[in-house]
Amino acid sequence: MTPDQAPAWADVGFWVFALAAVATGYRVFRTDSMVRSAFLLLASFLNVGAVVLLLGGRYLGVALVFMMTVEMTVMAIFMVAFMMNPAGLNPMSMVHQPRLAVVAGAGAFGGGVLLALLGEFPDRPRRAGADVIAALGSQLLGRSMLVFETVGVTLLAAMVGAVALSSRRSRFGGPADEGSLPPPLEPGGDRYPAGVVPEPAGGHGGHGGHGGHQ
Amino acid sequence: MSLEGALVVAAALVGLGLWGALSQQSIVMVLMGVELMVNGVILAAAALWAFAAAGAPEGQLLVVMAMAVMAVELAVGFAVVVALYRCRQVDMTDGLESLRN
Amino acid sequence: MTRVLAVGPLVVAGAYAAAVARLAAASAAAGHGLRGLAAEPLRRAALALVQQRLATERPDAASRALAPAVVAALAAVGLALVPLSRGWVVVDAGAGIVVWGSLEALAIAAVYLHGWSANSLQPLVAAYRFTAAGLTLLLLSMFVLIGVALPAQSLRLADVVDAQAGLWNVLRQPLGLPLFLVVALGITSWPPLDLAGGADLAGGTAAEASGPGRLAWTAARAALLAAFAAMGAAAFLGGWHGPWLPGPAWMAVKTAALLAVLAAAGVRLAGLRAEALVARGWTVLLPLAFADLAMAGLVAQL
Repeated sequence: MTPDQAPAWADVGFWVFALAAVATGYRVFRTDSMVRSAFLLLASFLNVGAVVLLLGGRYLGVALVFMMTVEMTVMAIFMVAFMMNPAGLNPMSMVHQPRLAVVAGAGAFGGGVLLALLGEFPDRPRRAGADVIAALGSQLLGRSMLVFETVGVTLLAAMVGAVALSSRRSRFGGPADEGSLPPPLEPGGDRYPAGVVPEPAGGHGGHGGHGGHQ
Repeated sequence: MSLEGALVVAAALVGLGLWGALSQQSIVMVLMGVELMVNGVILAAAALWAFAAAGAPEGQLLVVMAMAVMAVELAVGFAVVVALYRCRQVDMTDGLESLRN
Repeated sequence: MTRVLAVGPLVVAGAYAAAVARLAAASAAAGHGLRGLAAEPLRRAALALVQQRLATERPDAASRALAPAVVAALAAVGLALVPLSRGWVVVDAGAGIVVWGSLEALAIAAVYLHGWSANSLQPLVAAYRFTAAGLTLLLLSMFVLIGVALPAQSLRLADVVDAQAGLWNVLRQPLGLPLFLVVALGITSWPPLDLAGGADLAGGTAAEASGPGRLAWTAARAALLAAFAAMGAAAFLGGWHGPWLPGPAWMAVKTAALLAVLAAAGVRLAGLRAEALVARGWTVLLPLAFADLAMAGLVAQL
């Protein structure tokens, strides 16, 4: 089944999954509960994975689902750690420069639509019956071995970097949060939130568990 | 199921992601906006592979690379968020005026 | 398409078999007889259905309902992937092994949602420690399953089973099956790796579950354990290969044997703390998985 000879149910499925991906992607930024936001992003990815499966990427769609599930679960954990309102029990609005963002987003969408409708793309559909998984494997470990190995080394570098950045010991041997202060009440001022006293000479100023978000 | 349809949907995802990345204050939400943009890119790449590239394996390779980019960006992004919080006790983009230290 | 109808009965049968296996193992360990065990899961299910439902304050109701449904659906997909006989499989996925990996990942996400949704402390703690161990076990399972794919030179589960016509993978790759069983116990949160449950956290993610919700959660995880046992039978014990009996009968026998082993492990082995499991997972089990994969690669080359 090549994509341009797809049966009717595949066409319907394509549009259902594609529109669901866009809808859940929109809801990511419009929901109060942060954990739900992370899992709505996962839902968007799952829908795109389903579309990729319908397009014939039998390995790519499943690999996308696999990777994104793990990534979004980790993201949910970080949401709970770093967001002030992870369950959305209080209404809040956390946007800045809203109009610029809308203009930029609409501009990107408009540009993409213009490209899609006016651009001339070659019409060479995927051949039915080709073994795409074996082809990908041969490509990765054959002609594109250098790319594959570079990606591997990049991932290793990212792992090492992430562990080093989030280490509890700073570069200079002390604890990583030595001298950390929440931001001053006015930018560039010297008044701090209640209870925070910056010490002039090193030491642990502003500790006592005050978070930057209250 | 056509190339134009898939590309329009991918453009919508990229637009939504850009809107989210620019409008959110929290660093974690900005990361999610970027993820949504790469999501759109993956969809576009897969559609072009299926319709315009005759199913060449290089197209699949592009999608695999985009997924690797997402993984790296997420890992390093979260590590930076943790390090910034330890140093400055902020997790909002507005509270970060410089990356000193 | 009609093969899809077989999945429902398989899921129910799998959950029931896992429950009976656990009861039998507990009863055998305590020295009681095995009489009346066949009706015990049904009795407990009926009891749970009429129990009073308790609710917490402001739970995430959508996630609370979604979590057991997702786990049950994953069990259904897992049982649909496994070939039951020569050429007979409900879903013939070209990348079956990767689909299995995404099943495990989605199961971890579902358990996290279940613990999060109750808006209560112990379930949340249980969900967190489970996720930490679950991500470790996910890596383990991927290496072990890639090792299984190497002799078959394919990611399709039907090819994996066909490649065991001469020699079962449990003999070719001896480290594979024990590691896979560890993964099965960990991801379905079954004793001794019951990190999302357990008496030390007042029942873990199910601490605030009662009545039909609790039944749904336990039954869904039991079905997922049965799916893992079926996958282990297909990937390591030769699937439907075997003399005299037809293919599906051999699959049933091998799945039941693995369920018995898992239930016995649950009853006889002491539970592992989360820190111990994660530490040993990265320092002991993952190198063993690498060794298993290296051996599989070497053997495939010869």
